[in-house]
Amino acid sequence: MVRAALASKPMGRQPVRFADFVPAASVIAACALSLLPIVSSSGWWPNAGLLMLIAWRMLRADAWPAWWAAPMGFVNDLLTGMPLGMSVTLWTAIMLIMDLVDRRTQWRGYIIEWGVACLLIALGGWVEWQVAALNGAPVPFAQVAPAAIVEMLAFPIAAWVVSRIDRRRLGR
Amino acid sequence: MAAPAGPRPGWSRRAQYSLFFGFLAAIVGMIVGLVMLTLSLVAPTAYAGVRGAALDATAPLTEGLADISSTAKGLVSGAGDYWDAADQNGALKRQNTAMRREIVKANAVIQENAQLKAALALREKSPETVATGRIVGSSFQSPRRFAILSVGSNSGIVNGMPVRASDGLVGRIVDVGFTASRVLLVSDRANVVPARIMRSGDPVIATGRGDGTLDIRPLEVGRNPFVRGDIIITSGTGGLYPPLVPVARVIRLDDDGAIAVPLADPSEASFAIVERPYEPAAMKKLTDDEGQ
Repeated sequence: MVRAALASKPMGRQPVRFADFVPAASVIAACALSLLPIVSSSGWWPNAGLLMLIAWRMLRADAWPAWWAAPMGFVNDLLTGMPLGMSVTLWTAIMLIMDLVDRRTQWRGYIIEWGVACLLIALGGWVEWQVAALNGAPVPFAQVAPAAIVEMLAFPIAAWVVSRIDRRRLGR
Repeated sequence: MAAPAGPRPGWSRRAQYSLFFGFLAAIVGMIVGLVMLTLSLVAPTAYAGVRGAALDATAPLTEGLADISSTAKGLVSGAGDYWDAADQNGALKRQNTAMRREIVKANAVIQENAQLKAALALREKSPETVATGRIVGSSFQSPRRFAILSVGSNSGIVNGMPVRASDGLVGRIVDVGFTASRVLLVSDRANVVPARIMRSGDPVIATGRGDGTLDIRPLEVGRNPFVRGDIIITSGTGGLYPPLVPVARVIRLDDDGAIAVPLADPSEASFAIVERPYEPAAMKKLTDDEGQ
């Protein structure tokens, strides 16, 4: 009570309705960014859905039950036109990997989180590269590396957006 | 900040169980994903219906946004056209008269060609337009090069049909929905176009590089037949793509081949034309291959 009275923000703010579903909805919205009418000759734009998923999981271990990653990945596959099942596998694997990371890391900070996110993004890029090769499109490494680097550099933006959404949904 | 040790359910048995079953469900989800991925790699046509439905559900949004952005672009470039209009008008008039002379020459050649073909008793096959649509989106987040076309099976489009723009070859259809379809662009790594050099007629193979350019290799090894600026046209070999469609312009030579840029830029081309495969047998073979 005392702390609430000392805080400068208005009192009586509370979590928004359906606050539990806001994280998943924001990931789906990020996946839907692939519907923008951008006709690009190279695929260097960051994979927004994956970035939001990693950013949410980095911020909160309980943003959604781990298995939700599978249906969210399915929606991402459908919206972006990737081979069906790729994001399902990759996103659930990321949730499980992050459970391990949560147990192993002693300390969390900006640099560590960005580093772990970079590793996950690299994993995602590698999986996409290998699936494309299996699908008959063996793209040279020099053409997938820039996309992964752009995605890594875009992660702090996703993390910032996620932290703003999180504060908003919890009414803080 | 100390690391969070994951969601800690405390002493509640119920919370502990739900966390544990959530973990099991995630593992099951991953296995299901692996099975789906294997299936979509081994049998690409297995999900044709689902992918088509997803296209139908999402393409109208992309089309609407594309309309808005093209209107905005039109306003800007429309204003720019008035700049220096008098000089442009003069230049265009000169160009117009020069072109008219060229057209007369070209018509004479066409007539002569028709007479020669008639003398040789060659059967003329004109490419048949199935539908005309707009390219509204692309796979800008992935190493693969796909584009979204605003026409689908309601216009008679079938998987495998070649797509071209007025400037040149765009690609071929790989996913069909009812009102939209997905095109595998010529710049995709998996798209191989049998072609030839327009200047010399040497047969070549054009493969996408995934970054908007094409890798052109001659069929005969030993010497590099390319010159910078060479135009590559389809040869019609294989029967899928019609012959004599411009594909790309050579911009750089490497040791035994060349790098070229597609002549039809999907982001600039306003309309894309879907045609019937040049030889219907090629289409049958293609669908058989994908069905395996």
